[in-house]
Amino acid sequence: MSQVNRLPNGGRIDRSKTLSFTFNGQHYTGYEGDTLASALLANGVDIIGRSFKYSRPRGIIAAGAEEPNAVLQIGASEATQIPNVRATQQALYPGLVATSTNGWPNVNSDMMGILGKVGGKLMPPGFYYKTFMYPKAFWMTYEKYIRKAAGLGRSPLENDPDTYDYMNQHCDVLVVGAGPAGLAAALAAGRSGARVILADEQEEFGGSLLDTRETLDGQPAADWVAKVIAELQGLPGVTLLPRATVNGYHDHNFLTIHQRLADHLGDRAPIGTVRQRVHRVRAGRVVLATGTHERPLVYGNNDVPGNLLAGAVSVYVRRYGVAPGKKLVLSTNNDHAYRVVLDWLDAGLPVVAVADARGNPRGALVEAARARGVRILTGSAVIEARGTKRVTAARVAAIDTQSMKVTSNGEWLDCDLVASSGGYSPVVHLASHLGGKPVWREDILGFVPGDAPQKRVCVGGINGVFGLADALADGFEGGARAAAEAGFKVVEGVLPQVLAKPEEPTLALFLVPHDKGTARAPKQFVDQQNDVTAAAIELATREGFESVEHVKRYTALGFGTDQGKLGNINGLAIAARSRGITIPEMGTTMFRPNYTPVTFGAVAGRHCGHLFEPVRLTALHAWHVKHGATFEDVGQWKRPWYFPKRGEDLHAAVARECKAVRDSVGLLDASTLGKIDIQGPDAREFLNRVYTNAWSKLDVGKARYGLMCKEDGMVFDDGVTACLADNHFLMTTTTGGAARVLQWLEIYQQTEWPELKVYFTSVTDHWATLTLSGPNSRKLLAEVTDIDLGKDAFPFMTWKEGLVAGVPARVFRISFTGELSYEVNVQADYAMGVLEKIAEAGKAYNLTPYGTETMHVLRAEKGFIIVGQDTDGSVTPDDLNMGWAVGRNKPFSWIGWRGMNREDCLREDRKQLVGLKPVDPNTVLPEGAQLVFDPKQPIPMDMVGHVTSSYMSATLGRSFALAVVKGGLKRMGEKVWAPLVDGGVIEAEICASVFVDPKNERQNV
Amino acid sequence: MTTANVYQQRPGDDVKAETPLHHANLPSLFGKGRNNPGVTLRERKLLGHLTLRGEAHDSAFSGGVHKALGLELPVALGVVSQGELSLQWMGPDEWLLICPRGQEFALEQQLREALAGLHIQVVNVSGGQTLLELSGPSVRQVLMKSTSYDVHPDNFPVGKAVSTVFAKSQLIIRHMAEDTWELVIRRSFADYWWLWLQDASAEYGLAIAE
Repeated sequence: MSQVNRLPNGGRIDRSKTLSFTFNGQHYTGYEGDTLASALLANGVDIIGRSFKYSRPRGIIAAGAEEPNAVLQIGASEATQIPNVRATQQALYPGLVATSTNGWPNVNSDMMGILGKVGGKLMPPGFYYKTFMYPKAFWMTYEKYIRKAAGLGRSPLENDPDTYDYMNQHCDVLVVGAGPAGLAAALAAGRSGARVILADEQEEFGGSLLDTRETLDGQPAADWVAKVIAELQGLPGVTLLPRATVNGYHDHNFLTIHQRLADHLGDRAPIGTVRQRVHRVRAGRVVLATGTHERPLVYGNNDVPGNLLAGAVSVYVRRYGVAPGKKLVLSTNNDHAYRVVLDWLDAGLPVVAVADARGNPRGALVEAARARGVRILTGSAVIEARGTKRVTAARVAAIDTQSMKVTSNGEWLDCDLVASSGGYSPVVHLASHLGGKPVWREDILGFVPGDAPQKRVCVGGINGVFGLADALADGFEGGARAAAEAGFKVVEGVLPQVLAKPEEPTLALFLVPHDKGTARAPKQFVDQQNDVTAAAIELATREGFESVEHVKRYTALGFGTDQGKLGNINGLAIAARSRGITIPEMGTTMFRPNYTPVTFGAVAGRHCGHLFEPVRLTALHAWHVKHGATFEDVGQWKRPWYFPKRGEDLHAAVARECKAVRDSVGLLDASTLGKIDIQGPDAREFLNRVYTNAWSKLDVGKARYGLMCKEDGMVFDDGVTACLADNHFLMTTTTGGAARVLQWLEIYQQTEWPELKVYFTSVTDHWATLTLSGPNSRKLLAEVTDIDLGKDAFPFMTWKEGLVAGVPARVFRISFTGELSYEVNVQADYAMGVLEKIAEAGKAYNLTPYGTETMHVLRAEKGFIIVGQDTDGSVTPDDLNMGWAVGRNKPFSWIGWRGMNREDCLREDRKQLVGLKPVDPNTVLPEGAQLVFDPKQPIPMDMVGHVTSSYMSATLGRSFALAVVKGGLKRMGEKVWAPLVDGGVIEAEICASVFVDPKNERQNV
Repeated sequence: MTTANVYQQRPGDDVKAETPLHHANLPSLFGKGRNNPGVTLRERKLLGHLTLRGEAHDSAFSGGVHKALGLELPVALGVVSQGELSLQWMGPDEWLLICPRGQEFALEQQLREALAGLHIQVVNVSGGQTLLELSGPSVRQVLMKSTSYDVHPDNFPVGKAVSTVFAKSQLIIRHMAEDTWELVIRRSFADYWWLWLQDASAEYGLAIAE
């Protein structure tokens, strides 16, 4: 298909580079430099999709971010699908595949379209709320079909092959927008030597200068743009970010920028490159040069394809060499829009007429049009367009903007393009993200940014400064001010000369009156993306929705991907008029990030897949992998869970590993346990205060188990601490509690007891810990060490230094299994060599590596708790029957003592840790199961505790569990029941929590 | 009365040692990859690392450190070095000393001797961390992808060092020469950092140096 609407020359496109693309399965061509929208218009594609509610055909209206209709699905393959892409902001690339997101089954013959035509009146605002709310349970069913018919795009079903990442940026001045004001601001700030970032959402820097008719220093404006960019590129402190939308203005001048690095190059980013990048910018000062959005006028059938913004028509003609029609009618209330008339005539195309709502417009542009013989109908407006799939005529009539009445019959003008302009709205979105209320200015008929505490400057169009010369000056001054405030010396600059063309004031006109009145007129669309009409807004105010936020939510005005960029001001004006109040009294809705949609890939950045979360590995990890370990996540650590042999499941492997430890010797990698080196003359006293038990009398060479409580008296960590020298201790913590405990110690030392001389340093990663456990552990260790392991020379709860496998080691004789155990600590760099030698020597003893699951079973058989599994922050040492670890006579108070002596903590019927033996020895209680004393009581039952740990024991030949039960310590031998989700009930007997070797004869050998 | 337990934790150089990045087999990557890489990574492995804590404002402490090491105690966010010895400020009462492999035991003894009678802590953390050197024209971009700390030379001149957030964890960044930076990483996170740095460097080209 040929590019029927492509002008023979002009535009910033490269006609030597033809690009082919498809839209809804049809093949088209465009040129490099086109946007998808300009290429579609060049090919005469009128219908771009179907509307949300009424399913009316819709075409392209705008040329930028404010486009409400041309929101397309892009992607040549399943994996590269991107929803909600604005065709006006998507550069054309070879092989681009685009489809409409709404229009089901297709845009040209649409099933919903029939409903739209026939049932238009059936779908007033609130239609969905009113119709589909009952019965309530059906909403999910309705919603699925409504969503499909409405078409909101879809996410890909396959993994995105491209890379998305973040970049953290810091600058003195961030300039948002590279139109005339932004470029001038960047120049002023950049020349001062400040670190400047200039970000602009378009494919090229320049903004309105890329399509203006005005000249700078007598040269085309684009030449000046090129000169400025070249100068900025030469400044070392300046970073230029094209294709980069500043999407969010957050607290402390933190802004997020979504840059599309490769979206203009192809369906996939070139190999080795990043597709999209989120710049996280911390800016000293922000210069907002976001410009304006042109407002359309609201008239009957203003949504029929062929109704465009006047400025957009100019952009397509001048920047892309595309004429989106043949015969133009312009409807305007201001001078600036007249440039489309001149652009159209310059393109050699006929202008049918201009309808100017003002009585006697005499501005320079108006006169220029008049001088070229254009018919200008004053005091008039297009009140209605005709056409179904394309405009065929426009009705122009005289209007009275005071009474909002049509005062003549008007005439139907033959045309295929209605350009409208209702004035220019400053783009205040970013300025308002932090809650700064925009302020209405009657002189420019627009909201400008209000006062805000942020260190920011607004320049150019956003400030209501519309003339080119004024915008340049405002931008330069603002950029200089920002740099000066950031502490840089500003360099004087000369701005280019612009021939100022005075413009006459804009007339306040938003909704154009129709002779049938708003309710009966052809639909006058305010928000095309959400199918909100002027009549709907008036209905909403009549039904009592007065607040702008309520009107928004009732009608959907300003919802969706465009967030009301095109329609909101018109909507506010209509609502205000309907309520008889002013626009500033009506106010705006909240502006929230993001300014335009951001892909999920960009949001996730590199924090996905194998980089989603840090993984911590021990020095012995490779050995575990080699020996077939299955791993368990413990915090960020990967710990061996169990080491299955061929054909073994978890149960079989754990039974084998448990038996090996109890019968001979097992090996556990305990390196993940937290280890804190503590030094200082007051180290001992400090331990007295953070642990529940007493440390005054622990001799050098000895180790002791300690419980740590929070102030409330509840256990929060435990571990063994050894006395290395009088002023030197090594504390161990739980794996998960390591960082928390170190912080806890530092906080208490720094804030509560700064007089205690003690320092702490984490040595968790420095030491690797190999635990040998089982009756043969002494014999095995003796083969690789020079340490005297004799019963009396190296008793339980002591430590020794010496060589193990030729490496200096600290060996602790402590036990978490109840068996004779040695924990061998060596500098982690040497752990693998030590392990290999132990494993070699261990062959004679059936040395069996075991994981966390076997460790859990073995310690539970001994009634040893795991903090966080058997405790949950509501358990005191006495609740655990560990009162023996509470130093009740320590001279100085300690953390938790007062808490655990509160009346409630002393109750005898508190939940206490006990053992449970299921009556059926083959039944394993589910961990977490709630317990009751009477299984026959009516629901809701009186729950008296829950199972905290539960396993099958190879040693006991039966199942067993630990549980907390109300008053459990005085209920030995009594029964409890665990009612299950499936209706079954497990019966169990309360018993002591130590199941194996209660006299500790196995570890004291 | 013994104040601290000090002992030689490192065996002789003939004993098998595995650095935190042993599993990555960096030697197999020497000399491979793109020409003119934007980033060159070198693991400076098996160095001695000591954490030193003490009272910065006590001249006996700062004088003793100088006497033992020949280095002035650096102030906030500073790292000073002399030959293979570097001393970095870690906090108001904490420093990191990095020295050649095996010298940490003697240096600890020298420090303890020079600081005798003062309340201090010296801890050998050599096995718990390693040092990665990043050099090349694109290192700053890789750092910008990874940390929200401002690594522009205006804010991060040579001789500065910080502990900060990096990707989803923390590490130490040291600026040693114009295009040379060092990361001090914890052993258990080494694999995560290795994966992260490869990924962040990919678009600039990564080389591994001996």
